[in-house]
Amino acid sequence: MEQQTLIQSLVIAASVGVASGAVGAFIILRRMALVGDALSHVALPGIALALAFSIDPFWGVVVFLLGAAFLIWWLEEKTRLYGDAIVGLLFTTSLALGVIFIPDVELLESLFGEFPKLPLFEFSFIVLSAVAMGSLVFLFAGKFLFDIVAPELARIGDRSRFWDLLLLLVFSFTVALGIKLVGTLLMGALTIIPASIAKNLARSTTGYIMLSVILGGVISFGGALVASLYGFLPGPTIILFGVGVFLLSLFARGKG
Amino acid sequence: MDSETMLKVENLFVTFNGEPILRDLSFSVKKGEALAVIGPNGAGKTVLFRALLGLLPFGGSVQWKDGVKIGYVPQKFLTDRTIPLTVKEFFLLKCSRFWFPKKEFVDHLAHELTLVGLNKEVLSKPLGELSGGQLQRVIVSWALIDHPDVLLFDEPTTGIDIGAEETIYNIMHRLQDERSTTVILISHDLNVVYRYAQNVLCLNKDMVCFGSPADVLTPQGLSKLYGEGGFYLHRHTR
Repeated sequence: MEQQTLIQSLVIAASVGVASGAVGAFIILRRMALVGDALSHVALPGIALALAFSIDPFWGVVVFLLGAAFLIWWLEEKTRLYGDAIVGLLFTTSLALGVIFIPDVELLESLFGEFPKLPLFEFSFIVLSAVAMGSLVFLFAGKFLFDIVAPELARIGDRSRFWDLLLLLVFSFTVALGIKLVGTLLMGALTIIPASIAKNLARSTTGYIMLSVILGGVISFGGALVASLYGFLPGPTIILFGVGVFLLSLFARGKG
Repeated sequence: MDSETMLKVENLFVTFNGEPILRDLSFSVKKGEALAVIGPNGAGKTVLFRALLGLLPFGGSVQWKDGVKIGYVPQKFLTDRTIPLTVKEFFLLKCSRFWFPKKEFVDHLAHELTLVGLNKEVLSKPLGELSGGQLQRVIVSWALIDHPDVLLFDEPTTGIDIGAEETIYNIMHRLQDERSTTVILISHDLNVVYRYAQNVLCLNKDMVCFGSPADVLTPQGLSKLYGEGGFYLHRHTR
């Protein structure tokens, strides 16, 4: 692998990992782990469509994922269970459509990620966006948390569901940023794993968020590094690396 | 609406899936008054609170005094006890700065907690590790921290030890005396209603009665509300 591609990939891994850890902390508390995990599948039809029109697939991913965030937000106004069923159906349909319509040569990378060769503009866009997403989460942590911990109390002062929508949009966009590297099947998991580990260990919310952020960066960077050294696909390596840390955290908790 | 009226409710209706939960309620609450809402299980007491707070759709009108600040103590709010949220962080949700709160806010917290009989050591504890009584006091303190004009208090039926209950009603008494806070209280204990409330609203989907405790909490009134043989009747008529 070219050194420039490797460096680009590691920088993307670290920045997107940090953003994933930050936003994932709230997604786990919101009890959306499964929805969050599978949300990334929605990117596949976006990739297929972009390829069909010879556009960079990244933009197809962004549009489809942001659309999915709006959809989930809207469905949650209806009864919870109904929304869940629709979301499940939609995600698997996306996967099926993607597998059929994405050309074979592109399919494996679309599903499991690759070390991307990116023009400077797209590389900077991804890294800067990841920093922006992470900062948004920190800036509005109190608002997001209020809506999750005590939704009724939060809604007395502020009837709108704005913060909820913003959280979902930040989440979807962060997932979109990592899809090139981690893949549509596995990117959702990168947002879930760091927070799951942190929740096992933390005793305060600030500690929980910080730990999730650090773990997100470490797991994503570490996984990408291991993958590059041994010539594995980055997506599965990052996820397995994360699951390894998760198992260790269970052990640490058991001892503590 | 005159200047002393904090809340005016007229012809309030709430329905769920075509089923009436509240029917044609009209009443008003004056500044500094304590109104107790009583009624059997499923009478729609909590639904009434949620309608007053605008948390669910209703028919009729609910008018609060302009610019009124409302504090709400729900019966149950913490659905997930595994959330790693400390008491201090719970209070910080009400602060404009979650990460680096002003020192005055934190000092103020310690002071407010002593009012509900908790010490500041509790601030660093996760909410999920508090006892039922401690959690209840924390929520009361949380509702009071920005000095609301009206406090809506949905009393829990179980899980509170007598000591904690005493403190909470003492606080409410003091609130009325010192800050002339208006209190609307859902209560299951007629003893408390007698001691603290100026007015009582008896609810069983319809408004069964409204008036001072001495006037409406008669054996006849209570048997109409709870049905014959309601055990409250025997315990509290003197």
